[in-house]
Amino acid sequence: MGRIIVANRHGDQVVEWDPAVVTEEGRAAVAEAEKLISEARARGCAVSKKVDGKHVLDNAPFDPQVEEYQIIAPIAGG
Amino acid sequence: MASWLQSIRPPNRLLRLLRSLGLADDPNPGDRPELERPWLINWQWVPKRSAGPGFGPHEYARARARGAEVARATFGDEQWDKLRRQGFLDLRSRRIPGLTYRLRVGRRIQLVWDSVEEAMGSPWPYDYLCINPTYPLPAVEYAAQLYLYLRDREDEVVRVAAPQPFDQPLGRVF
Repeated sequence: MGRIIVANRHGDQVVEWDPAVVTEEGRAAVAEAEKLISEARARGCAVSKKVDGKHVLDNAPFDPQVEEYQIIAPIAGG
Repeated sequence: MASWLQSIRPPNRLLRLLRSLGLADDPNPGDRPELERPWLINWQWVPKRSAGPGFGPHEYARARARGAEVARATFGDEQWDKLRRQGFLDLRSRRIPGLTYRLRVGRRIQLVWDSVEEAMGSPWPYDYLCINPTYPLPAVEYAAQLYLYLRDREDEVVRVAAPQPFDQPLGRVF
């Protein structure tokens, strides 16, 4: 099971998918997750992924096999 | 870009009353709000240190509790315990010799120098860096995000940082 933690003013909200599910619904969940990551990056957000139990910032394309992504807010001075 | 006005929700107490009377549908069973994509919203007019309209004490408490869970997962247990114990986390700069970034929850980054000589080479005229998220976040959750930026993308931090002569709470976290 993969998931994206969307950090927002609610603390976090989670989008999940199961890469093992090959049904239409499963593919749609993966596509939705990929779209969310692309959209956030296009708006200046960073993305981290969990590697060996800890999060690291990541520039690689979306991978449905990743256990956990997190969308990180863009930063600004002042 | 959408306006934050679109995020206004009807009064929660009234909605709860209507739902208890069976006069209104509950769109989010389990008390979970719909997925909010904050990068699509213009937060410019939301007051400082506020999550915006529609947030009461219950929503703030819930957001902070969830933010702390995410922060713990992001920091890892060791760093999380250290942060709680000492109230800050120190990260050595990989880019600027003699510099340590002191990260504190909800406050500006403090610059700590190994020596006066190295401080003289600072790219900034002051010892506090004001860096905010572009949308409201619980302070502890943002601290974890800033930790990732400092550790993995220091160039971005150096690029956007606004140096300040004094310490102050950040404006876009709560």
